[in-house]
Amino acid sequence: MRVLKKYLHVYQAYFAMNLAQASSFRMHFVLVILVDIFFYASSLLSVSFIYDHVDTIGPWTREEFLFFVSFMLAIDHLHMMLVAHGYWEFSRELRTGDLDFKLLKPIGTLFPIFFDRVRPGSALLIFVPWGCLIYFGVQAGLSPLSWVLLPFLVVVAFTLAVSIQILIAMVMFWTIESIGINFLRMQLQSLSRWPDFVYLYFFRKFFTFFIPVLIVGSAPVKFLFDYSVWQPLALVCAMILLFFWLIRVFWRIGLRRYESASS
Amino acid sequence: MTSLQREASKWLSTMQIGITNQMAYKINFLLMIIGPALVFFLIKYNLWVSIYSLEGITEIKGYTLEAMIGYQAWVLLVELLAKTSNGRNLAEDIRLGRVTTYLIYPFDFWKFHSASFLGTQVVQCVIFSLTFVIVLFAGLIEPAGVFQFLAGVGFALLVGILWYSVQFFVGMMAFWLEETWMLRVIFQITAAFLSGAIIPLELYPSWLVQVLDFTPFPYMTFYPIKVFQGEYSGSLLEGYLILFFWIFVIMMFARFALRRGMRLYTAAGM
Amino acid sequence: MIVCEQLTKNFRNYEMDPGVLGALKSFFHRRYRDIVAVDDFSLSIERGEFVGLLGPNGAGKTTLMKMFTGVVAPSAGRLEVLGFEPFDRSIAFRKRISLVMGQKSQLWWDIPARTSFELLRRYYEVESSIFEQRLKHLSELLEVEHLLNIHVRKLSLGERMKMELMASLLHEPDIIFLDEPTIGLDLVAQRNIRAFLRDYQREHGTTIILTSHYMADVHELCERVVLILQGQKRFDGTIEDFENLLGTDKFVSVEFKEPVDVTDSIWRPLQPKWNSDRTEVKLLVSDDEMRRTVSEILQTFPVVDFHTGKIPIEHVMETLLARPELVPLGKE
Repeated sequence: MRVLKKYLHVYQAYFAMNLAQASSFRMHFVLVILVDIFFYASSLLSVSFIYDHVDTIGPWTREEFLFFVSFMLAIDHLHMMLVAHGYWEFSRELRTGDLDFKLLKPIGTLFPIFFDRVRPGSALLIFVPWGCLIYFGVQAGLSPLSWVLLPFLVVVAFTLAVSIQILIAMVMFWTIESIGINFLRMQLQSLSRWPDFVYLYFFRKFFTFFIPVLIVGSAPVKFLFDYSVWQPLALVCAMILLFFWLIRVFWRIGLRRYESASS
Repeated sequence: MTSLQREASKWLSTMQIGITNQMAYKINFLLMIIGPALVFFLIKYNLWVSIYSLEGITEIKGYTLEAMIGYQAWVLLVELLAKTSNGRNLAEDIRLGRVTTYLIYPFDFWKFHSASFLGTQVVQCVIFSLTFVIVLFAGLIEPAGVFQFLAGVGFALLVGILWYSVQFFVGMMAFWLEETWMLRVIFQITAAFLSGAIIPLELYPSWLVQVLDFTPFPYMTFYPIKVFQGEYSGSLLEGYLILFFWIFVIMMFARFALRRGMRLYTAAGM
Repeated sequence: MIVCEQLTKNFRNYEMDPGVLGALKSFFHRRYRDIVAVDDFSLSIERGEFVGLLGPNGAGKTTLMKMFTGVVAPSAGRLEVLGFEPFDRSIAFRKRISLVMGQKSQLWWDIPARTSFELLRRYYEVESSIFEQRLKHLSELLEVEHLLNIHVRKLSLGERMKMELMASLLHEPDIIFLDEPTIGLDLVAQRNIRAFLRDYQREHGTTIILTSHYMADVHELCERVVLILQGQKRFDGTIEDFENLLGTDKFVSVEFKEPVDVTDSIWRPLQPKWNSDRTEVKLLVSDDEMRRTVSEILQTFPVVDFHTGKIPIEHVMETLLARPELVPLGKE
């Protein structure tokens, strides 16, 4: 309990610092918001344009599919707002040796590495993905229980998405240069933006059980539509635990390799 | 040595540095090569196969499944030549104050970055050739002919220069902004969406396509593909001229921004 | 407080030939080279000591500090700091140490230092009232009360260094590691930082380990000096012993009215260092020879100025770096 309180306290300070920083770079603030808006628009419109020419893709109608896209946007939104900066920071800190200071702080080091940058600008945009989620949810005819579950499932899916990406980021201990890894990380992220049934058998299995990016969105959304499909969701929870453990293992091994470039 | 030879040797050795830098980190380099191909096979191939097969559709706006896969394979190829520079180093040079060194060098900032860009393009051409051979033998594409192929490569390389000019221009904003990655990402998202890199422009609402014709976007992916496929409807010369026009316009803006930025920079005495 | 035995750290590098060909070659085949940064290093430091680590760039001082603080894992050997093994990186251990690096900054650049300090308070779980007290006290000592609310990037290097020092002292660590805290500072700022460190150490009795290239820092602050050359410990003793390493000879500096004959046989045994127009010379003279030598110089040459003193520590350091063989191996 005391530990949890400490982390909350520290996080409050992160938020205050990021807010202070954002307010001194106003142009930056606006541009970050624009990035998100462009991204949301292009994601939704791409799918919408395809549906201009087909009635269903797999089992899903336009509304269901766009609900899925919105679900992934809600995860992306949390991701952009809370973590996205961390991967790039991490690689910079590894290369320059600036990681030293974070290693010295008496707190779980992964916390400051991945969570000390918050984008307050993105917080303003919360209405966009959630507005879409509600709009397409209504159209897709979500049940009352599903509405209650929705926020929780977004958080669970977000947790898995972040765990996968942090584990991939651990590879930077070995590669040092980061563009390739970050590129790979983002590509995997974009794989999860399409429902798992569009992937052929082998790919679907691989990205469900080995690198489980496909269940991030597909599992919870399928469950929201039909409670009998609960197994993938259970897999999501299991994978979260597995990835927590893997991150811990790789973090420890990676740290032994850290050379802390000096000046 | 004539002054021309001397200048050429400067360009050449800078290009060499560009190539060396690109390959300095093994895994990084491999991922950058494999990455785009991976995306193609994983997302696009799967997505379109499932759209067509799950519904038993044979044709969307004139695209059969094979044509759609072919189109996406061409997107992969065109992007290998066209969307290579990312302007990150450039912005970093400015932000970390390394611009000053170029004021002293006998090889200015613009030349240095242009030469390293050309260096990267050399490596990209090799990757392009390899990918082309693989995609060709996999039977994913049917080139229209040698002339169309060469015209297409030329077109795509020009787009590469256009892309570089844009990145250069965006990088210049580092004189005024703390960070420029947002501008780059906005441009990347917009370009991917409006250039036909995600879905062919034929599938877009026709009013949107008409508007887009007045922008450089369709020239970045859609038209180069049409040239490769021998289906480019307009005159090829006109297409090249339009590309040159856009390169010229954006380069002018970029050089203007460079001059203004430098003045700001030196005036601030940093 | 710190005990290490046969501590060793290796780094691995690879070499690369110039040009495209070199890049291609190293892409497929890497020539690795192991570099020993710290070699079989043993040291023991007691509570309350102020120890200076001396050595040229790349000698392994910083690597040593980073192993002491648990940032870098040792390759071999035993290390214990405050009863902890540093690389276990336990939270309790981290709360009791701090590291200041003159070339790096732990403060956020784009916000005032005061806001960063608040984050540190929460990291180290210091109570607000106590924290405010320390903050007030430290900022008075360092004379930076008026700078707390200014964006860090707007501060001068000296001012920022003071903030960095504060940041690392607010949790009152038991051991402070200072890696070149005065680097790049002007003389006044250097002196201020030194004075502060001396007073702080006297007041709190904190153990402090310092590296610096400015011998003035070491001379003024450290009672004990450890010399590191190529990763190995070459000297460990009091600063007085270090100063006497080249013997107890005195340092004599003489200035002449006009250029003099540098080939005169009197100079030869005295390791003379001439200025360019031969009007000034620095000599090393032993105690026994002092009277005779000086009177001979005064009689023979047109001397206008003259002084003598102990060998400056800078000179000791310079000589040792140029001729490491002067320190016997393994000398304690």
